[in-house]
Amino acid sequence: MSTKGTHIPDWLTVPFAGITPAPSQDKGQDLFPTGNWRAIRPVYRDKLPPCNNACGTNEKIQGYLDLVKRGKYLDAYALIKEDMPFPSVTGRVCYHPCEQACNRGQYDEAISIRAVERFLGDLGQALPRDVVKAGPPNGRKVAVVGSGPAGHSAAYQLARLGYEVTILEKSPKAGGLNRGGIPDWVLPQHVLDREIERLIEIGVTIKTNTEVGKDVTWDDLKNNYDACVLAVGLIEPNSARAEGENKDGVLYGLPFLRDIGMGTSKVKLGPRVAVIGGGNTAIDCAREALRQGAEEVTMITVEANTAEMPAMSEDLHDMVEEGVELLHGRAMTAALGNGKVEALQLYPAHFAGAINASPITIDREAPAERFAVDNVIIAVGQRTSLGWLPNEFKTERGSIKIDQFGRLGATNFFAAGDVVQLGSGQPLMVVNAVGDGKRVAFNLDKVIRGEPLHPRTIPVDVIVDLNRMNMTYFPHFPRVKQSMLAPASRRSMQEEVIQAFSEEQAVEEAYRCFSCGTCNACDNCYLVCPEPCIVRSVRSNGLYKILVDYCKGCRVCIEECPTGCLEGVPELDFDTGVVRMDTAFAITPGLHGRQARELEELAERPAKDIDNWS
Amino acid sequence: MVTMVEKKKRTARINGCVASAQAAKYADVDVITAYPIRPYTATMMALAQMVANGELDAEYIVADSEHSQLSIAHGASSSGARVFTGSSGVGVQFAYELYSPISGSRMPVQMMIADRTLDPPGDFGSEHTDALSTRDMGWLMGWSCDAQEAFDNHLLAYRIGEDRRVLLPQMVCQDGFFVSHITSDVDLPDPAQVKEFLPPYKHPYPLDPRHPVSHGPQIMPEQGPPLQLERARAMEGSVAVIEEAHDEFARIFGRRYDPWVEEFMTDGADVVFFMQGGHAVTARYAIKHMRDRGAKVGLVRLRTIRPYPTDRVKDTLSKFKVVGVVETNMGLGGVSSGGSLYAEVCAALYESQQRPLIVSFMAGMGGEAIVLKEFYWMTQKMIEAQKRGTIEKRTHWVGFEE
Repeated sequence: MSTKGTHIPDWLTVPFAGITPAPSQDKGQDLFPTGNWRAIRPVYRDKLPPCNNACGTNEKIQGYLDLVKRGKYLDAYALIKEDMPFPSVTGRVCYHPCEQACNRGQYDEAISIRAVERFLGDLGQALPRDVVKAGPPNGRKVAVVGSGPAGHSAAYQLARLGYEVTILEKSPKAGGLNRGGIPDWVLPQHVLDREIERLIEIGVTIKTNTEVGKDVTWDDLKNNYDACVLAVGLIEPNSARAEGENKDGVLYGLPFLRDIGMGTSKVKLGPRVAVIGGGNTAIDCAREALRQGAEEVTMITVEANTAEMPAMSEDLHDMVEEGVELLHGRAMTAALGNGKVEALQLYPAHFAGAINASPITIDREAPAERFAVDNVIIAVGQRTSLGWLPNEFKTERGSIKIDQFGRLGATNFFAAGDVVQLGSGQPLMVVNAVGDGKRVAFNLDKVIRGEPLHPRTIPVDVIVDLNRMNMTYFPHFPRVKQSMLAPASRRSMQEEVIQAFSEEQAVEEAYRCFSCGTCNACDNCYLVCPEPCIVRSVRSNGLYKILVDYCKGCRVCIEECPTGCLEGVPELDFDTGVVRMDTAFAITPGLHGRQARELEELAERPAKDIDNWS
Repeated sequence: MVTMVEKKKRTARINGCVASAQAAKYADVDVITAYPIRPYTATMMALAQMVANGELDAEYIVADSEHSQLSIAHGASSSGARVFTGSSGVGVQFAYELYSPISGSRMPVQMMIADRTLDPPGDFGSEHTDALSTRDMGWLMGWSCDAQEAFDNHLLAYRIGEDRRVLLPQMVCQDGFFVSHITSDVDLPDPAQVKEFLPPYKHPYPLDPRHPVSHGPQIMPEQGPPLQLERARAMEGSVAVIEEAHDEFARIFGRRYDPWVEEFMTDGADVVFFMQGGHAVTARYAIKHMRDRGAKVGLVRLRTIRPYPTDRVKDTLSKFKVVGVVETNMGLGGVSSGGSLYAEVCAALYESQQRPLIVSFMAGMGGEAIVLKEFYWMTQKMIEAQKRGTIEKRTHWVGFEE
């Protein structure tokens, strides 16, 4: 027997026939470091999902959908609250640019993100204590003027950063546009009330009936606070520039909604109501008019069709479903009647240039139309008056002049929301105001702490599109629909039109998320690795590790990554943790490993010792 | 309560190929991989019929070549299946790449060989060179001399190769045509006997997604020797297992084979033939005839060439004056400039205190039968050498000399 008396030393002992358990298991593939074959290294590099990018406040949408999928609702709620103080509100009212950007929309139907957000928001509402806490007090005082979306968001983030925040609100009730601009059947008052309670819970003081320029001056703000966020919004309605707007029965959109929202409305509508305007406020006005007793509501727009209207398509659909008529391509030039409006004078009209971004051309040579009404609600945009603001900070278009960080010159004043975004091209929407408030709060904090400000930039290539994902892994599933009240019953009450998701629906919808560009711990890489040298230490989001000593760079995991999170990076881009041919033999404590150690020691020896080295 | 086991033994008149197929059926193989080449094809035809008739529940995979055939066998065995495959002649050669990996990963694949002469040019006859050329690849290997022995060797080889102490592939060889296509009576056992003799196959580390393991990884040069040493140990360790298996076989089936060498009429013999395979049947007849006429001639038939029973060959052959190695294989340019069996015999006898004279006979080449007349001639040559005390020359090409 030639093998009698043979002994394999421990450091060369190999498993049975080289058959080795997975590297994740005890010992694993310690003995077979094949990493030196690799030219391409797989790297987990989370990219920006398009939903997160499109969101006005950059909510981590993929993140909370993934947590909902795993039943971790509280974690999901905490994640959403990082960027969004009131998910219960935006879960109802948001124009959801995320859903428009959703990659799934190009595959079957976009994820119903807003409905999941509402599910989480309502969950947060039901909590006895919020998960969000105020930051450790830093002794600085900040005034926030206005308690609408931008002011609420700024105050919320500043309180979390440890500031002593006081909100100055002109109205008797806090909420700003959230309260005054959004009807109850979209956002019930109690939902908003609860969110404002949450704000007070983290130490924000709200002074209502306090109007800047009247009760508080510019100098008061400057002298009594370390910094100030101006989020006064746009509360005054634009005129339609028609004759006779002062007649009885002529109403303006935002005040119409605000008075109903505040409970101070004394309006009694006649049976025939016309709404002038094609935006979201106009839609809300038209639908509210039905609920206020109008029998025939007609929406009159300059836009030539519904596609041109700057309104959310589903709201438009719901409005038509409720019975509102549309009359396109008309401009109102006069409110006719004796003391009280009886009819409107309409002329054909169109935008001179781009839709909604150019003056209106009215064809006054065409025959005028007479449109009989009992009331007209004008909803053609908002503005504000900034009499209290030093002139140097006013722009020509009637907004506050700020730099790219939301700061007024070199002052500690910042401004956010509609009042700065007016005319910026950005839609004047709740979520954009929230994002604005958040960013301004962080910038303000940096200024107070004397840190430099950096503009926020996102390289386009980090936003994932479908081409960078492996669609083989995603079966088609229809979007989970939110149930709605029947159109006939909606007209007569203030009940919420759109119903909430059940838990099952929220989870089902969250499961549809592609998790674009972001590891969602699907285990695919772990399963397809032929070596296998992908280990899974914890079964939660993103916790995989590539054992670079063993990974041959076969790219299978990269090709098979459903989300496009795994990337192949040329090995030469790395200078650490690399197993190259010249060092490959040195990583096991084997024969070559010993040689390599001796060679390492050699380099540290003085020159004359090397001469004598044998 | 005593369960009555009805003995279901029967005798079938079948050829070697069908005997092999029957053995695979009795062994209840899981995967069969086939690629046609004469003469072994008849085995796969028989198995295909069995699978089609529902006699045997096995995956029957027809490959696109012998290389694929053995690759499939390798993979199937890695998954934990009992695998049966086979080939002949150049088919054996085409799969050559797989022999070392299969034994190196310790997969007890079984391969039936019905020998065929290697080209050139095309020759359907039998010659052992096809399988014998792979003898150092870590496969257990031995030749049968008739259909019954072929049947029995298949069952023995599965039991030995699948033993945890061994885990090596096996080549169960038989001469093409002389065994594969000669019909004789074969005792087919009761399946219960086979069940007792051959436990279900269970590899310790099968490929299984529930328990991930890595097979055949890249290794460092320094890790090669330990793996080779382990394979050498397994081959050596098989010796005890082979003997144990033959004892068990005799107990259960009532047929006893010497695992290493069959001695025929060696009592008092001065000269013996040393050979493998089916020509031994002719040799036995010739020896009886010559014994009747006073020639002290016998036969030593090697049953297992891998692992090679060095000491047993030494001890057995040292009893005689002259050993005539009947090659039936090509060892071109080798020790004897004829066949390769001569070198194995010489090496085993080198340490013997009583070395016999050794002479190599190139006979049975190209599928030619070794006829009685030739055995007489070879015996004459051996007796002359015995008288002379020295050999005339190392290698005789039988049929080409006076």
